[in-house]
Amino acid sequence: MDFFKKTLDPVIALSAIAVLDIFLFLLVGAWTVGGGETMMTGLAAQFFMGDAVERIPFWRFVFVPDAGYWKIYISLGMLFGAIVGAVASKEFYWRVPRRLSEWVMITIGGLLMGVGIRLAFVCNVSTFFGLTPEMNLGGYLAISGIIAGAWVGSMIYKKILEG
Amino acid sequence: MSVVAECIVAFIFGSVVGLLVQRSRFCNTAALRDAILFNSFRNTKALLVAMMILTIGFTLFISLGAGNPMRFDVGLNQVIGLFMFGIGMVLAGACTVSTWVKSGEGNVGAMWALLFTFVGMFLFSLVWSANFWPPAAASMTGELNLEALQLGFANAQTLQEKFGIPAVFFGIIQAAVLYAIFRAIRRKEQAQEAAQQENAATGATGATGVAAEPAQVAAQ
Repeated sequence: MDFFKKTLDPVIALSAIAVLDIFLFLLVGAWTVGGGETMMTGLAAQFFMGDAVERIPFWRFVFVPDAGYWKIYISLGMLFGAIVGAVASKEFYWRVPRRLSEWVMITIGGLLMGVGIRLAFVCNVSTFFGLTPEMNLGGYLAISGIIAGAWVGSMIYKKILEG
Repeated sequence: MSVVAECIVAFIFGSVVGLLVQRSRFCNTAALRDAILFNSFRNTKALLVAMMILTIGFTLFISLGAGNPMRFDVGLNQVIGLFMFGIGMVLAGACTVSTWVKSGEGNVGAMWALLFTFVGMFLFSLVWSANFWPPAAASMTGELNLEALQLGFANAQTLQEKFGIPAVFFGIIQAAVLYAIFRAIRRKEQAQEAAQQENAATGATGATGVAAEPAQVAAQ
């Protein structure tokens, strides 16, 4: 099947995703990832800490751990769809970062993404595929932040690339 | 819609997205990083096209009183939060979508980034629990709240209510702005392509050093 042999044009892929996102917006809400990830964090905290998690106000007032939160299943679906695509196109193989500097960058990057999402209440997906198309003021604020951040990140990345 | 139905709809949507992103190698990080560092716009153009479709689609349905727009107060925290996120995604080499998709391809680095995104979220939950900023949904007013560095709430729906003009009208203006950015990128690409062809022609007549430069950029 050609679909699993050739790389798909991202314009076509993203156009299809956009049309589906409009239906999702009509049914439950626009595509988002950060909210589902936060709920997964809460569920993981509840799993490891038990009832003690309720002593942290954030998990009592902002995100009460709930496995029935629909946004979790978008992320799990993306993982599933990617596994299907990678296996069917014979592109699944274990890739492990080799250099210590890569591990350090990924660790810092992951932490910044997690803190940033929660501080902003939005992730990059809800910025570009939810808030801004809804013409929400938060979308414009978030886009300003992410472009400035990506620029600073790119300069750091360039310095590291240049050694 | 029942909770189970919502979760099933979300899972189906996510699965199709995961498949399409995996097959197209789309990455939001690359859409910004490659445009900034390498003048490469493959992902940026896809992002803009999706935003144009979504802007028209969302605002059209908002005009008709349908859809589920996000509703919460916004303010300085969106700028600072996404600024941190922007640095983080470039360092990690993946955004929220590509961490999941690359994890599905067997990328251990993406799994590690995902794990530390969760750790970052948990750490933030502790910080929030100490200072209660930004305000939780229950204490949002929808109005300007300078004390909490919040600007309130505004979207296409509030524009429609304020001006009495259908939201899709504003949506068309936004889509036109996005299209203008798309056109500017295409013009830049056409200029790059013309320069490459010229370099290749020069290279064919003997000046091989000049033609090597675009290949290096592509390799990055």
